[in-house]
Amino acid sequence: MDASMIFAQFMSGLSRGMMLFLIASGLSLIFGVMNILNFAHAALWLVGAYFCYTFWYLMQGTALGLWLSIILAAIALAAVGWIIEVVLIRRVYNRELSEQLLLTYALVLVIDDLIKIVWGVEDKLIERPPVVADPVFIFGAPLDSYFVFVIIVGFGVAIGLWWFLKKTRYGHIIRASVYSREMVSALGIPIPRIYTGVFAMGIFIAGLAGAIQAPVGSITLGMDMAVIIQAFCVVVIGGLGSLLGTFVASLVVGEVYAFSILFWPEGALVLIFIVTALVLIIRPWGLFGTPVRT
Amino acid sequence: MNRYSWLGLIFIATLILPHVIGEFWIHVAIEILIFGLFAVSFNMLFGYMGQLSFGHAAYFGVGAYATGLLMLKTSVPLPVCLVFSMVAAGVAALIFGYFCVRLTGIYFAILTMAFGQLIYYIIFQWYSFTGGDNGLQGIVPPGWLLNVKNYYYFTIFIVTAALIVMWFISESPFGYTMRAIRDNTERTRFIGINVRKYMLINFVVAGMFAGLAGGLLGPFTRSIAPDLCNWQQSGVPVFMTVIGGPLGFFGPIIGSVIYTFLFAFITGFTEYWPLTIGLVIIFVVLYMPGGILGLVHEKMDFFKFKHLTNDIDKGLEKET
Amino acid sequence: MAILKVEHLNKHFGGLQATYDVNFEMKSGELSAIIGPNGAGKSTFFNLLTGYHKADSGRVIFQGKNITNWAPHKIVRLGIARAFQVSNIYPAITTYENVRQAILTKQKRTLNLFIPAGRMAKEETTELLEITGLSSFSNIIAGKLSQGDKKRLELAIALGCKPELLFLDEPTAGMSGEETLETMELVKRLNQKLGLTILFTEHDMPVVFGYAEHLTVLHLGSIIAQGRPEEVRKNEMVQKIYLGEEA
Repeated sequence: MDASMIFAQFMSGLSRGMMLFLIASGLSLIFGVMNILNFAHAALWLVGAYFCYTFWYLMQGTALGLWLSIILAAIALAAVGWIIEVVLIRRVYNRELSEQLLLTYALVLVIDDLIKIVWGVEDKLIERPPVVADPVFIFGAPLDSYFVFVIIVGFGVAIGLWWFLKKTRYGHIIRASVYSREMVSALGIPIPRIYTGVFAMGIFIAGLAGAIQAPVGSITLGMDMAVIIQAFCVVVIGGLGSLLGTFVASLVVGEVYAFSILFWPEGALVLIFIVTALVLIIRPWGLFGTPVRT
Repeated sequence: MNRYSWLGLIFIATLILPHVIGEFWIHVAIEILIFGLFAVSFNMLFGYMGQLSFGHAAYFGVGAYATGLLMLKTSVPLPVCLVFSMVAAGVAALIFGYFCVRLTGIYFAILTMAFGQLIYYIIFQWYSFTGGDNGLQGIVPPGWLLNVKNYYYFTIFIVTAALIVMWFISESPFGYTMRAIRDNTERTRFIGINVRKYMLINFVVAGMFAGLAGGLLGPFTRSIAPDLCNWQQSGVPVFMTVIGGPLGFFGPIIGSVIYTFLFAFITGFTEYWPLTIGLVIIFVVLYMPGGILGLVHEKMDFFKFKHLTNDIDKGLEKET
Repeated sequence: MAILKVEHLNKHFGGLQATYDVNFEMKSGELSAIIGPNGAGKSTFFNLLTGYHKADSGRVIFQGKNITNWAPHKIVRLGIARAFQVSNIYPAITTYENVRQAILTKQKRTLNLFIPAGRMAKEETTELLEITGLSSFSNIIAGKLSQGDKKRLELAIALGCKPELLFLDEPTAGMSGEETLETMELVKRLNQKLGLTILFTEHDMPVVFGYAEHLTVLHLGSIIAQGRPEEVRKNEMVQKIYLGEEA
């Protein structure tokens, strides 16, 4: 096993981590601002993948069509998220935690079956556009160029989110509402509108993630089940509500997967579970979360 | 007619049932009983202690595997297997519960789910012992229980006994203390209760009864699979409890009746059961937060069970 | 004989020193008050003594035992009970059941899983309800009680723990003049007849000067005066900082 192979594994892990980050960041954002753990996040992610497939198919499967489809899918999913927030999520803002969890859990069941009804049970396959068909060579190691694309998008979203929350007015309002809903309301900014916006934004990113995932392998029913568990682990390890934590934890988990394939293939998930359990036991607010009384 | 008369009538009705309904419905009835027990054990954590566990199926599964393995590999009689199921589930609940009760709210929910999945993966991977994803096949009940009617009466007997025990627990000082922990955890600390210890005891007892229910399942369905432990299965007692109403002792059983009937009915003509139950739960959460019991309590004075009324008042007080 | 000794107690939250080098003592059977403007650190002080917060440094000694940083339930079992400033009762059950819960806990019967609680501790509970004037509310869901009655229930729960040392955080807050008198007379009776050592905090000055044998004044986390109420009253610093507004 030489250096370029290790590097290839590292990049593969990085890419996988970025995928995870794209999914988990929306989850973390929604929880951080609205205090709601969206069980249905991965199910919506999967819808994003299917949306991408449909848009791509409608554009007669052209290469340009794929890039367009990715963006369209994300926007379409954000619209779906918007509707879900206004119709359902809004009603459980002030309810007990168990009711919020049950609602989003039930939503998973509904969405998964709706996917079945709309798209059927066969796997969907998207052809890779030529621009990412061949591997690129970095440091002498052949890397799947689509993976490189994923890494770039991941970084882009991470930086974009950071910039949005830290530097823009809207970001400031959102962060302020985390600290004090009353103050923000008192300033005349309606909290429900903020929440709907944040939810839609989180779902937009999930849609982007799903659409980007679509050309990798095939789109299968039930993909979301494995993903939601991983996303939960990532968000817990990184710290519920902390985007930096989500970013770091995603990359770490991605690398764990990449390297465990070499030694203990089934072990990756078990390992991650154990780490998640340990974090919950020793430091429930994760690596970067704010300490809370549990 | 007081509440005990009603319960007595219902009990007699369940005894007569197998003679008036067809074999298919006897199967359904057994399923209602087993999952009803499972759901009531879950409610010890949810309705009484106030915590939502998304990993309770793990103990159900451990119980199922304990009885299943004993019946397949040894000649231990079924009633003794059931005791082993309770012990095995109790031990698992003790190990994982020790960590889970240090948390509450969302962290508790996630950790219970994570441990549940862990048990699922362990059973799944441990091919040599548990048969992995093939599960255990050919679990045959003893001769005297081969007839489904007999198994029905056996189940009634065990489940009724278990429910009576759980009823006494809920009426005992321990039961009141668990509800106190739900109602005001801090106050409970400040009257001298080691909350963590009590939550662990409750967690173990709940796990044991889940294990008992699981033990009853194996010989009934003749085969069991690791799926019994995963988080989707953990959702079943949650749904049953929420539909029936978490704030009364019999809520989860009512939920089990409705859920099981609905399942049998819906899967008769469509495969989209998840869609159906998902919509039902969304409806219940939004419009019937107290479940059926909550609705009955509000609308029909006639059906007020004193003990249940108290419990429902508790919950509705909290929600307004 | 000192039932409670506090030595060099310190606690800060972030940049705020909530309790600064507090030395305090209570004799068995004493009825004392601790006062101070809002933010002086009275509640923090109670929280430190009852295990709600962990002290940064210092010692709390109860009946010769060092209970510093013990868990709340252990402290209660030793004989210290507390009535909270904002009534901390069980809103979903009846007044009767509220009090019974405390009594059953004291009687160490709460690990009993099999005998119905319905018949337990009837006498003790009814008696306690009578003493605190809550008998007529016995079967009312506690969440529906008035503020004043909730405070009384708060006191009843604390008494149900059969403490030797009782902390009362603003026991008459939200009460009418008549209720205040009833409550404080009860407090005095408990102190004199049962020998309960009681430390209370209040904003109601007539109550403080009417009932406290010993007075401690807190300001910005430190004790600035303590002694017999008449003497403390004359203390210039106290007058300037606290009583000055009412002098």
